[in-house]
Amino acid sequence: MSKKVTPWLDNLLQEIEGVEIRRKDSRRVRIDIAADSLPTLLELLRGRAGYVHLSAITCVDWIDDGQFELVYQLWSYESQSLVSAHIRIAREPGVYVSVFDLYQPAAFFERDIHEMFGVYFEGSPDMSKFILTEWNGPPPMRKEFDAEAWVNETFEWKDYQPDWLKEITEQGGGIVKTPEEARQKKP
Amino acid sequence: MKEIDNPIEAPVDQSRTNPLARVFDELVRFCRSRSMFMLHYCTGCGAIELPPAMTSRFDMERLGIQPMVTPRQADILLITGYVSIKTLKRVILTYEQMGSPKYVIGICSCTVNGGMYWQSYATAKQLDQYLPVDLYIAGCMPRPEAVLEGMRKLMDRIRSGEADGWKDYYRRYDWYLGNQQHLFGDDWQTPADVIGEASHYDLAEPGTEGEHTRLLQQCQKPLEPQQTFFQIGGSLEKKGESHE
Ligand code: SF4
Repeated sequence: MSKKVTPWLDNLLQEIEGVEIRRKDSRRVRIDIAADSLPTLLELLRGRAGYVHLSAITCVDWIDDGQFELVYQLWSYESQSLVSAHIRIAREPGVYVSVFDLYQPAAFFERDIHEMFGVYFEGSPDMSKFILTEWNGPPPMRKEFDAEAWVNETFEWKDYQPDWLKEITEQGGGIVKTPEEARQKKP
Repeated sequence: MKEIDNPIEAPVDQSRTNPLARVFDELVRFCRSRSMFMLHYCTGCGAIELPPAMTSRFDMERLGIQPMVTPRQADILLITGYVSIKTLKRVILTYEQMGSPKYVIGICSCTVNGGMYWQSYATAKQLDQYLPVDLYIAGCMPRPEAVLEGMRKLMDRIRSGEADGWKDYYRRYDWYLGNQQHLFGDDWQTPADVIGEASHYDLAEPGTEGEHTRLLQQCQKPLEPQQTFFQIGGSLEKKGESHE
């Protein structure tokens, strides 16, 4: 089945401009595409190639390039194959269109990405808080968010060498290495 | 079970004049230590050690330790693993609903210092900053033997009157509340009236009230009764309202 579909998919993709297709193996295709053309691609894949299942939308923060990468994973039950469509959008202001009208599960993925990376999806039905309902900090999955600094600012640490522990250590138990020692790089 | 049956010296409360009072205290403490009903809010992976501790191999129930279903019926709150900030809110709500005396056991390294989530922005590090922890059982994760050992330690401490974390919560409520507000924001509130309870148990001390409790009182919104709607004969009516 999959063998038959493959050339057909290739023909189909030739209808769109500016795509780069990398065939990972017989059932896995990676498509890099300009951000503007993605809705067209999804429309084609869904309507004419049977990729009806949007398994996930994921986001990658390329902070040095000033870009976010959005990856749309599409699965076809007919050809048992996976297409992942990659686009890059500018990190500032980090806005993209929603594909909710094509794939309804997109609403959850987009809401999640909005919460974790701060990307705004125009036309998505709900961009309110999803999982991090008690979080008021910056979107935590952005690369510039320094979790360790935030933790040190917000929480206090328990003493790692209290007296009662020293007694236990003398008897051969307890903590062998302090966290500071453990984190020191070997020369 | 030998250590447990040894007599334990209890601190003498000088203010009690009735000679029989201490006998009753002793009895009450003994009964408390032998009927430990635990509410395990299974926050993290450490909870997986509880089923083996309860079932046939280790069988906690022979020591009088049993799981309970609601906070109102339980004496011990087990925090079995990492507490995210979101969970911590629910844990505090649960703790405040439990009737005193109540005890908190922090199982797992995660409750001591964040464990392997030390770097996570979402995990509270030291549980005892937000709740009075009577006992920690460290380990990632502690084996059922360790859990039982910890339970027996708590039994001893209840019997000798040392396990009084719940009193500490009333006495230093302002400090605990301050730490809670630090995480949850200034408008944090629970339905429980801890200050009222503190004076009920005669435990209100200078640390009970302070700047944080004042902040709480300023932000406190009165709780509204929940409105339940149900359908009667095609029209939507409010429960509790008469409809003659
Ligand atoms: S200490 Fe280990 S077992 Fe326990 S909650 Fe943390 S990670 Fe899980």
